[in-house]
Amino acid sequence: MTTTLFRKTAPMLALLGLGLSACQPDLEKDFEPSSGTADFTTYVAVGNSLTSGFSDGGLYLEGQQNSFPSILAQQFAKAGGGEFQQPLFPDNGFNGGGYLKITGFNNGSPTIGPETANLAIVGLGADGKTPLLSRYDGTGNQNLGVPGIRVADVLTPGYGLNNPLGFNQYFERLLPASSPSTYLQYVQERVATLKPTFFTNWLGNNDVLGYASSGGTAAPLTEVGEFTTKYDQVLDALTTSGAKGLVVTIPNVSNVPLFTTVPTAGVIAQVQGTPIPPELVPVIGASLGLPAGAPLPEGTRFGLYIKTSDAKKPIREATAKDLILLPASSFINSAPVSPNLFPGGIGLVIPGASAEVAGALAAISNALPNNLVLDEAEAKNVATRTGELNAAIKASASARGLAVFDANAFFATVASNGIVANGVNNTAGFVSGNLFSLDGVHPTPRGYAIIANEMIKVINSTYGAKVPTVNPNDYRGVKFP
Amino acid sequence: MKFKSLLLAGSALLSATAASAGGYQVTLAGIKNNGMGGVGVGLSLDQAAMFYNPGALAMVRERGVQVGANFTFARNSFVAEGSNQQRELRNSVVTPVSLFAGFGPQEGKFRAGIAVYTPFGSKLQYADGWEGRTALTDIDLKSVFVQPTVSYAITDQLSIGAGLVVLAHGSVNLQRDIPLPDSYGHIELDGKAETKLGFNAGIFFKPSEKLSVGINYRSKIDAHVKDGDVTFSGIDSPVFAPRFPSGTKFSATLPLIATTSIGFGIMPTENLTIGIDASLANWSAYRTLRFDFTQDINGSKVSESKREYQDALTFRVGGQYKLTSGLTLRAGGSYDESPVKDGFVTPETPDNDRLGGTIGASYNFGKFGVDLSAQYVGIKKRTQTQQDLLTNGTTDRIAGTYKTNIVIPGIGLNYTF
Repeated sequence: MTTTLFRKTAPMLALLGLGLSACQPDLEKDFEPSSGTADFTTYVAVGNSLTSGFSDGGLYLEGQQNSFPSILAQQFAKAGGGEFQQPLFPDNGFNGGGYLKITGFNNGSPTIGPETANLAIVGLGADGKTPLLSRYDGTGNQNLGVPGIRVADVLTPGYGLNNPLGFNQYFERLLPASSPSTYLQYVQERVATLKPTFFTNWLGNNDVLGYASSGGTAAPLTEVGEFTTKYDQVLDALTTSGAKGLVVTIPNVSNVPLFTTVPTAGVIAQVQGTPIPPELVPVIGASLGLPAGAPLPEGTRFGLYIKTSDAKKPIREATAKDLILLPASSFINSAPVSPNLFPGGIGLVIPGASAEVAGALAAISNALPNNLVLDEAEAKNVATRTGELNAAIKASASARGLAVFDANAFFATVASNGIVANGVNNTAGFVSGNLFSLDGVHPTPRGYAIIANEMIKVINSTYGAKVPTVNPNDYRGVKFP
Repeated sequence: MKFKSLLLAGSALLSATAASAGGYQVTLAGIKNNGMGGVGVGLSLDQAAMFYNPGALAMVRERGVQVGANFTFARNSFVAEGSNQQRELRNSVVTPVSLFAGFGPQEGKFRAGIAVYTPFGSKLQYADGWEGRTALTDIDLKSVFVQPTVSYAITDQLSIGAGLVVLAHGSVNLQRDIPLPDSYGHIELDGKAETKLGFNAGIFFKPSEKLSVGINYRSKIDAHVKDGDVTFSGIDSPVFAPRFPSGTKFSATLPLIATTSIGFGIMPTENLTIGIDASLANWSAYRTLRFDFTQDINGSKVSESKREYQDALTFRVGGQYKLTSGLTLRAGGSYDESPVKDGFVTPETPDNDRLGGTIGASYNFGKFGVDLSAQYVGIKKRTQTQQDLLTNGTTDRIAGTYKTNIVIPGIGLNYTF
């Protein structure tokens, strides 16, 4: 009986076995990577700190390993890409030039301090202030990102030469010792040696950022004409043997935490809403020359004051359109330093006062230093110039048939909506948003991964390629102690 | 359909923002029915009628008892949007079992019986490190329904029946990873469902030897888990640990939705039986999946996730042919509409329309019988994009492409009094 049963059911059991083995669905063939009309065999990356993997106010090994070019190269490898060498810091100096980290918490707010161990600093430059970093002695460097470099700098001889007038230590460590080479010459040498088939070029940020991050006090905005000429020279060097590539626009600084974390309107409201303590009234009255015991003029209140580059009005009350830089957060409301009566940023306002009185009030205020505020006029200058430079970048790319990742548009979207990746929400918020590192400008590894993914989408659509993206959640946001 | 409904519901239960197990359950009550595409509402095959249509029980000539087991092998592949890496489940086999026993006088008009079945009991373990880990890593659902049933033949052609459906045992274990800025934590929800009641009623009409028709209705049961345990692990940072307090309990309610079915039986010859069923599952009752916690978890006592399911139809057709006095062969197929809209697919229920094919056989020797069945269910490939998720406000789940196949061999033993 059992044998009968077995004989009769055997075909069915065999069918079952077949069914089981054929059961696992195969989706991979639907998502086969390919390079389309691009060729990822040899990739070089040109750019500034963002290309080098700079993060948390410094360049260090972990940042380099998670640089967007490193992530791109890893994904290109799935579509025909080859090796990608970076000028990594050595294991015994893996913290590179040092960086910022969260050292603890004070009332729930993170305290941020420098990492000082395991640095790759080997001495001091001839200018007596620039640290020298351990030299990269490889010959195959493909990540040409140099933190701090502007397009305006690419033709400057000695930009990476240890000399008394100052130099860029990140470029210095990439060059042979004592090389007066310009950045453009370095790019040309790399192109001649490596013969790249694909490149990314994300230069230009520092041509506005130096101005913006100093509150308009240092490093002028690069002129459009100069920018265009030098930018084109870099692109020509890269495309000289027919390489295809991706260029990237400059995000407007008003979308990064360095300029958005301190809410100007909120601070103003808080300052203005603080009543004047009675014990201060006689002191203020005296400084205004009022008779002893007289009340302060009707409507007298506190106000938030800033210093500006406007010669006609070097100190004025802040408006919501002024961008207060992140480091100002420790200055605002800090204890008054004698002889100043007021805490950091604070002064008095008397509505309807004469210009003379208003000027005197401004003069005695403890106004925010000019370099901590990108005032309305300066912010407008930055936005205008960013727009002009981005137009130049797009035109140059278009003339050469290159892909363009509009990082400006992307970061504007992120600033207003955040970005969700694989179920995890990320925002442009400082510390909590996952995307920006502790310097408020440079991305975290998560941020770089998301940028790499956006670049891949543009490369895929421009060149008909199918380069897979990464899971950004495999990359960390801000590191906590 | 009901089974699948329950299954889906079950999976939903698990799926907080975490998730539940899949629409991996298919109709798995009677092994004979399993071999015939899952038809049964318009038939009076055996004691399993208690599940498909209690009204038909009075027309089942034999009294008897049967037990069945189904070995459910679900094989799922997933590729996240933009990725080329295929993720597969850490595979497991789930084995729902069932028992049906019917009693009553040989020639009487009454039949009574008891049915025990496991309508959802799903287990999904996603690959380590898969892209949807913050939605779901593991789900394990178990349930046992017990259904005392009575049926009465009003005339030789018309019978009615009803069962009291008791959710006698239900348990859920849901796990997912918690995204911290620089690492992942892990949350596990583990709880038991309260005992709940519903009913399963039907009418069966057999106007001739060649035709029968049945109507069945299963009521909705709101499965409720109270005082479930919430356990956190892997949250080492003193900054975050206080946001995930230990000792937290959770509660959740899941509608195990109502199903209405109509079925026809056609018997062209004495040895050939053909069944056709259509079912409507009232999935639209499932709008959101909400978890309430006794303490703030990462700043909130509530976790809510959109489901917005739609009512869905299922069609089944199948037949059996009595080859010899001992051997009966079966085959059938089914088409099952997904209740899940585009943009709403979750890892606990990576659902889509399903196409199923079945075969089966029975061999009887005396009062004993052995039933075998095999089902192959293909859940159609389904892609949802991040844009779909953004459009629907469902970014708590993951964009990508799912494809699932399920093979379910089943075996049943029956004894006729």
